[in-house]
Amino acid sequence: MMLSRAARPALRAGVAATARPATLNATNAATYATLREIEGRLKSIRNIEKITKTMKIVASTKLTRAQKAMTSSRSYGQTSNTVFENAETKPLEGEGKKSLIVVCSSDKGLCGGIHSGMSRKTRKMLLEKPDTDIVVVGEKCKSQLGRSNGKNIVLSFAGVGKDVPTFVDASAIADQISLLPTDYSSIQVMYNKFINATSYEPVIIEAFSEEAIAQSPNFAAFEIDDDVLANLREYALANSLYWALAEGHACEQSARRNAMDNASKNAGDMINRYQILFNRTRQAVITGELVEIITGAAASEEG
Amino acid sequence: MAFAWKAAGLTYNRYVAVASRVVRRSLKEDQRVAVERRGEMDLRFAKWENGKQGETKNLASANEAAMAEQASSSSSS
Repeated sequence: MMLSRAARPALRAGVAATARPATLNATNAATYATLREIEGRLKSIRNIEKITKTMKIVASTKLTRAQKAMTSSRSYGQTSNTVFENAETKPLEGEGKKSLIVVCSSDKGLCGGIHSGMSRKTRKMLLEKPDTDIVVVGEKCKSQLGRSNGKNIVLSFAGVGKDVPTFVDASAIADQISLLPTDYSSIQVMYNKFINATSYEPVIIEAFSEEAIAQSPNFAAFEIDDDVLANLREYALANSLYWALAEGHACEQSARRNAMDNASKNAGDMINRYQILFNRTRQAVITGELVEIITGAAASEEG
Repeated sequence: MAFAWKAAGLTYNRYVAVASRVVRRSLKEDQRVAVERRGEMDLRFAKWENGKQGETKNLASANEAAMAEQASSSSSS
């Protein structure tokens, strides 16, 4: 829309110039300006395309590593969850105890809507249980949730997402969470599940409290001392977090790759359109000038 | 059952982290370089109160401080 509107003044100016040679200089300046404007815009779009293309390449190389880390981390999380599945652990209901949501996002944007998808899901969960506390990993969700639900946030972590998350990251976060003064009945770790290269879904893994583990129906099958139970819980939380962080990281890279791919495509389209517009405008200017010269020559011959 | 590291105020995760660091550092040179990157952690965190973000702190040092505090309180009691 912008393009055609920008093109018309130039054409009209050309027509006007032939009709009224007196205003020739002024209109000429205007057409040159639009020509230069188009050129400038073309240049900046080309630069943007270059940047998005590079970012896409970087994201695709990072993606392969992230996916490898994701598959290996999955076994961590799933193995530790097998214990709870066999023990048939259920999250404790009611009793007015608080629960905690750990949102695993990252520091960096430019990767489509994966962060806001998680923020939206968190908000929806908060509507059902308004007294739930939140721990946010990563700057992006922190700023989104900090605006709407700042009162619920108890901890926020930054510095994630530069590289593939390590288990040390996860266990440090788990330690800090277990140091929190409130005793939570259930901890829910939210992350983006990697369904395929183009679709992700915010999902939740439960990390159970000690009581929940102790009250699980099949708990007797494992011979666990009470002292060790706290360790198991901490370790399970770290495992779940590691899984969530790694899978979230893979999703982020893949989403960034797609976003940058689309951006490069759009930039390519725009470059084509602007190139055509640029050529057309240049043609119009040349034609206008030729007409001026010819009419001028014809007029001087007559006189 | 008392664990020595529990008495020292460490959490299980911290205990695992220390143990894995020891293993990593005792590897042979060529493998150690490849593996050492898995032990890096550079996170910062902030506590929130009443919808306001508190001071940003380094996570590693804060964790150590918290555990040292726990250790002193548990040994004195």
